[in-house]
Amino acid sequence: MTAALEVDAVKKSFGGVTAVNGVSLRLEPGRIYGLIGPNGSGKTTLFNCVTGVERRDAGRILFQGERIDGLKPWQIAVKGVGRTFQVTRVFPELSALENLLVVTRGDRATAERRGRELLTFVKLEKLAGEYAGNLSYGQQKLVEFVRVLMRDPSLILLDEPAAGVNRTLLNDLLDAVRRLRDEGKTVLLVEHDMKVVMGLCEVVFVLDHGDKIAEGPPGVIQADERVIEAYFGR
Amino acid sequence: MSPTRLFQGGLVVIAAALAVYPVFGTGYGVRALLQLFMWIALAGSWNLISGLTGYVSFGHVAFFGIGAYTAAILITNAGWSWPLACIVAGVAACGLALLIGYPCLRLKGPYFAIAMLGLNEVLRALVSYFEGLTGGGSGLSLPTLQASVPIYYVMGVCAAAVTALTYVIITSRFGLRLMTIREDEVAAEAMGIDTARHKLYAFLLSAVGPGIVGGLAARDQGYIEPISVFPLATTITMIVMVLFGGKGTVWGPVLGAVVLFVSQEIVWARFPYVHQLLFGAIIVAVVLLMPRGVLGILQIKYRLPRTV
Repeated sequence: MTAALEVDAVKKSFGGVTAVNGVSLRLEPGRIYGLIGPNGSGKTTLFNCVTGVERRDAGRILFQGERIDGLKPWQIAVKGVGRTFQVTRVFPELSALENLLVVTRGDRATAERRGRELLTFVKLEKLAGEYAGNLSYGQQKLVEFVRVLMRDPSLILLDEPAAGVNRTLLNDLLDAVRRLRDEGKTVLLVEHDMKVVMGLCEVVFVLDHGDKIAEGPPGVIQADERVIEAYFGR
Repeated sequence: MSPTRLFQGGLVVIAAALAVYPVFGTGYGVRALLQLFMWIALAGSWNLISGLTGYVSFGHVAFFGIGAYTAAILITNAGWSWPLACIVAGVAACGLALLIGYPCLRLKGPYFAIAMLGLNEVLRALVSYFEGLTGGGSGLSLPTLQASVPIYYVMGVCAAAVTALTYVIITSRFGLRLMTIREDEVAAEAMGIDTARHKLYAFLLSAVGPGIVGGLAARDQGYIEPISVFPLATTITMIVMVLFGGKGTVWGPVLGAVVLFVSQEIVWARFPYVHQLLFGAIIVAVVLLMPRGVLGILQIKYRLPRTV
């Protein structure tokens, strides 16, 4: 079966700092993956390489068997890769609804209906007309999350989706991620909240200083000595 | 009557009054309104690229200048009629925008602004250099023609067309996508928006109006020279008008052009030396006190729709 995403020996350095040092990952379609590691381990850089924000120095990145390294970010997004950012990047002077509308084409009424549905899903329907910049941080995260869904991507990269989102809403959000998986979508998330990672992910990759040091089901990862060492020191 | 209806009614009345004005108005009045139309078209055009995408063009008068020279050369050397020459002037400005937009729109923030400023200086130098075609520093005199009234109408149509175009763009998803470039270009790309193409389209659209208007101004004035059609002051005036009225709004450039042009005319007539000073003071006051402009502030405060 063709992998939803294949990262093959990808390297990226900034000046003398190696951020990602030949990491390989393989994501099967319809599963939820986690990417964890201490700060500065290269998680976000890897995200940026996959989504084209950064150009990798070496290695290959394949989305559904097709090379996407070297494509522009918007081309990768159009192919079906959606992402959120670690620090939210909503369009502050566009309303919440407009934030969702910009990514749509075709009939506007249909797009608005879909946008309102998604805002209702994250309980922001009353704030549809509010400037996104006026929303709380958690609300902005939710807008960003549903904005990704507007394009109906088949691979979704979430950079710390739980940070700043309250518990009740977080459970809804996690349910939503599971439902996306059930629809056949592939999810890769970076998350520091271990409860979220352990409860949601089927396979976890661990990065440390740009290297992949472990890979496996959450239970196994938690007991892995190298992982414990990376997080807590020897 | 709803505010929208009232506003639309007001627009119709104003348009009708402006349409019949030349019949009974003074020559001075016609010339003044003609210039006001020109400023509305210029400010509105600058707003399309800079107000919406946030790419601040400090050399927008280059399109005005290239339009003025294109039309003047076609009229003087090739004997074209002025309306046709002015249409070609718009096309020429668009062509220039295509040529320089492709490389320059890759530049971010201040670098784009400086590149545009440089472009204008280069064009002015080029025009001065190719004397055979442009008359060089001594300028170009167009054949005598009394056409203030027809130019008044065409200029009025240009102002209306730029404003209508702005309305269509801002209320469309294309317009929203242009705004995402201003808001966060990286996020826009990640959402699948081809920002390079969007910027270029906005840039092309923002060049047509100044090109045509430049041609009309050349015909109206009857004489052009490099310093009269490529002045930095014209770009600055466009920018101040838009900033005052409200960047990224439909009616902001119109409001800014009307208020600043009228006050300029009044102050100019009474205190010729104070006028520059006052203009400078307005720039400082606007930037410090209301960077969003009049309509920008109202939009935030009263949640006005994008149609404003």
